[in-house]
Amino acid sequence: MAARLGWRFCAGWGSGGVVDVSAVLARILRELPDGSGSGLLGGDPARCAQVLGVDGVAVSLATDGATELVWSTPGRSAALDEVQCTLGEGPAFDAYRHRTLVGVPDVQGADAGRWPAFLPEAQQLGVGALFCFPLNLGAVCLGVFTVQRAVPGPLGPVQMNDALILAAAITAAVIRHDGQRASFALAEPHTVLHRAAVHQATGMISVQAGVPLPVAMAILRAHAYRTERPLLATAEDVVARRLHFRDNRDGTSAPSGTGTD
Amino acid sequence: MMTNQQRVLDVLVEAVDTLTDDFDLIEFLHRLSTRCVELLDVDAAGVMVVDQHGEFQLVAASDEKTRLLELFALQHDQGPCVRCYQSGQAQLNISLTSSAATVGFGPFAARARAAGFTVTHALPMKLRHQVVGAVNLFGSRLRRLSDTDVQVGQAVADVATIAILQQRSIEHSHLEKAQLQAALTSRVVIEQAKGILSERHNLSMDDTFDTMRAYARPRHLLLTDLARQIIDDTFDGDITPTGSPDRP
Repeated sequence: MAARLGWRFCAGWGSGGVVDVSAVLARILRELPDGSGSGLLGGDPARCAQVLGVDGVAVSLATDGATELVWSTPGRSAALDEVQCTLGEGPAFDAYRHRTLVGVPDVQGADAGRWPAFLPEAQQLGVGALFCFPLNLGAVCLGVFTVQRAVPGPLGPVQMNDALILAAAITAAVIRHDGQRASFALAEPHTVLHRAAVHQATGMISVQAGVPLPVAMAILRAHAYRTERPLLATAEDVVARRLHFRDNRDGTSAPSGTGTD
Repeated sequence: MMTNQQRVLDVLVEAVDTLTDDFDLIEFLHRLSTRCVELLDVDAAGVMVVDQHGEFQLVAASDEKTRLLELFALQHDQGPCVRCYQSGQAQLNISLTSSAATVGFGPFAARARAAGFTVTHALPMKLRHQVVGAVNLFGSRLRRLSDTDVQVGQAVADVATIAILQQRSIEHSHLEKAQLQAALTSRVVIEQAKGILSERHNLSMDDTFDTMRAYARPRHLLLTDLARQIIDDTFDGDITPTGSPDRP
């Protein structure tokens, strides 16, 4: 057993490792459309990252004028998505807009002018390389599959191939019309929307400050930006009633409550 | 052979062009076929699509040996892929040595046996009810595909379908996107409405959700529509919180 483990670790992407990688890839392909989980996609994102030899993966889907993170490894990948949502720029946006693969094999060495706000944030998160695969279907793009890792460098041909296969498998899985999608759409308690608290907090702030939802969302964002805290964490403070914007009717005055820092 | 392949390419290329600027569909499907052989422990795999005349054409195969290519070419009007297309169902574990299992495609079965194969499978490539092709597998050992293998095989067929549809069937894709977005938007709208009601009535999110459902159900009101009314401030009903009142 020990020898087998050792062999496995040594095998890497060589011919010996293919058996192992195939088994894991097979499992992911089988589980992605599984509708018994808590989200729109089944299976384990961590296993997906493992098979691609990256540190994290994320799938975000386009809604009307925004995106929702629906499947990701925790930590860096989720944070990368949030950073791009907050800043309104980044490779995932470009992959979606242009319906094409956008790769950043070296975050530190990338042209700073391309994403002036995003690149320093990505670097600060410890992301060395990221690759954004559009989830294309016909002439439309449904969302983006992002893979990232701390070590810079391009994806190898096998990784690239498997990532493209997974992007297509994810596309196939998200256009399923099954009970899971309906449950998700109706917010059934067993289904999870990553940014649910952001939308709940937006609703709450709209009542507290007496403003329309888009303004409430702007107030929430501005507060997160001002306090240099993640949007989701700020929203969770609002939902937990640690933070409110009751005296904030014009959307400019300071909120009450300190939140959890 | 080449003319046949060329025709297949022409048919697809006409509609498909390339997936992205630097990425070729045929090459992708070739690599997918190769991956499929590893994933399912079979000996050969091919992606077959239905052309505008309703006949199967090979688009990509796990290897380019002439004998294998001939086997795929034979199936333009007979074999497991045709049966798969007609029924819309996967054709699994078809023993090529059984005359009963190969009724209607005897010549194809004979050629497959001569090529060293004993079993074949065809998994439908379909988007909803539209069959656009099939992933065709060949094995030389008597190993049945397990249920797990079939799920993986179907996922591979779905990948091939998506790859081809990435440039095709454009109206369809707009509809798919609209429906996916509707599902996501519905979810977002419900969460926002939960926030609004939770703040108004000082309820937890769970209790707010239960309250919304308790209101909507007997009135045959869609939860999404109720949420939208709450958000647009057009809701004029009386939502009475369920569960424990006067929560802190």
